[in-house]
Amino acid sequence: MHRMVPCAAVHVAMLADPPLVGYRCSPMSETLSRTDPMPADDALVRVRGLTTRLGDRVVFDGLDLEIPRGKVTAIMGPSGTGKTTLLKHITGQMQADAGEVLVDGRDVARLSREGLFTLRERIGYLFQNSALLTDFDVYENVAFPLRQHTRLPEELIRNIVLTKLQAVGLRGAARLMPSELSGGMARRVALARAIVFDPMLILYDEPFVGLDPIALNQVLKLISTLNQTLGITSVLVAHELAAIQRVADRVILIANGKVVASGDPQHIAQDGSPWTRQFFGGEADGPVPFHYPADDYAVDLGLKEPA
Amino acid sequence: MNARVKPRNILVDGLAQIGEAGLFLPTLLAAVPRSLRYFRETVRQIWFVGAMSLIIIMTSGLFVGMVLALQLYHVLAIFGGTASTGTVVALAVYRELGPVVTALLFAGRAGTSITAEIGLMRATDQLSAMEMMAVDPVAYVATPRFLAGVVAMPLLCCVFSAMAILGGHLVGVTWLGIDNGTFWSNMTSNVHVWKDVIDGVVWKSLAFGAVVSLISVHQGYTTPPTSEGVAYATTRTVVASSIAILALDFVLTAFMM
Repeated sequence: MHRMVPCAAVHVAMLADPPLVGYRCSPMSETLSRTDPMPADDALVRVRGLTTRLGDRVVFDGLDLEIPRGKVTAIMGPSGTGKTTLLKHITGQMQADAGEVLVDGRDVARLSREGLFTLRERIGYLFQNSALLTDFDVYENVAFPLRQHTRLPEELIRNIVLTKLQAVGLRGAARLMPSELSGGMARRVALARAIVFDPMLILYDEPFVGLDPIALNQVLKLISTLNQTLGITSVLVAHELAAIQRVADRVILIANGKVVASGDPQHIAQDGSPWTRQFFGGEADGPVPFHYPADDYAVDLGLKEPA
Repeated sequence: MNARVKPRNILVDGLAQIGEAGLFLPTLLAAVPRSLRYFRETVRQIWFVGAMSLIIIMTSGLFVGMVLALQLYHVLAIFGGTASTGTVVALAVYRELGPVVTALLFAGRAGTSITAEIGLMRATDQLSAMEMMAVDPVAYVATPRFLAGVVAMPLLCCVFSAMAILGGHLVGVTWLGIDNGTFWSNMTSNVHVWKDVIDGVVWKSLAFGAVVSLISVHQGYTTPPTSEGVAYATTRTVVASSIAILALDFVLTAFMM
């Protein structure tokens, strides 16, 4: 009788001395494929006609985009343009007003809560502020998903956690509390937690914010390594073009509720459109106006009667 | 279902909060079967909201009993009824002061910490992180704290009542010279287990525990993710709990009479 566990658990079980037997590799994609054939599709995430309004503000206005499998895709755009909102749509944390978001061929909005949780087990999400559980130390933070979703023996959990912490270079920090970690270390612990189930997709929300150059390079290296060695599809929401150029295969620029440019990170800045010129050139005014929409300035100052 | 930081209208805001909390209760109760998986977390919360509240509950109970005996002794002396001091202390404590004061203290000590803890988890994306790890935060965070409050309140009320009677004994018998046998025999013959002790210490406490825990958890869970939001939610837990306890006490007492 084999117990179905994440692939990482099987790898570690085989390395144990003596090897632990009775475990069979069962990534969620494999489990699901028996009942629901995985579409032979190059796009892991497909967004079609996504329309989202927050109050009176239109965040997305018929957004269409695709995230290719096994690649690192960067989502860029001016602040407040809805990049994090897009990640929330992909993970089913937010419902759209119209359109659909397909992840691995499944419409996220139509999934039941159980279906959504099953999907989320296959998605790693790196929060901007790391979102480590402050009651637990580093080790328990990484072990948390394993303890919640598997009944693995403690020895196996320990080995998986240490393997993941070793991958992010923080095995020695296993017993530190989140309050004792620097921003970069917390980001790496969150990354170890995000990959503990060998996800098919990792979403990074502003992973470079507040990092010093050393920590930024460490995170860049980890993103690149995870993508190349495990083939994990990665979606990066970030503003740092220099960093994006080092790690991303493709950049999608969102503004005004739509995709305004996409392509190779080395060349997207030179495509010549007003959007890319302003965004990558750092111009204060342009398609994204300097001034937040307001009433007539003279009316506000009392120099003119309202129309 | 977000709480508003700045109330537009106290009445409208209050009614909206009651409605939201009422809608949140079925969500909490529906998560009870799932939260049984986290039994250890529930036990940890009982220890946190129960055992960690013991010092304030015991100290308050002792002084409430002492001051009650002191006041009653001098009032009863006017009618020559000082021998009934123990009885009246016990009746007041079991029927009213025990459950009500325990609940008010519980709201201030444990309710606020529950709200602040969950609110900070909300503000630091820990609840969202759980959602993203396919862990239901209602079952893992909210329901264990709610259950812990419901379980801990009657236990704390027992401790409070015992300490209050001990305080009454200290003042009445040790200080003011009421006969020890009279103190206890009058109390045991006039206090009824079902009518006085069970109704007050058990049923009222359970009701207050459920209400305070619901308010605390709901305020924390729906707090705006800002420092101001957490502060406001914490304050609102104390205010709403206090009003709810006193109002519910009147209703329960009216039904129990």
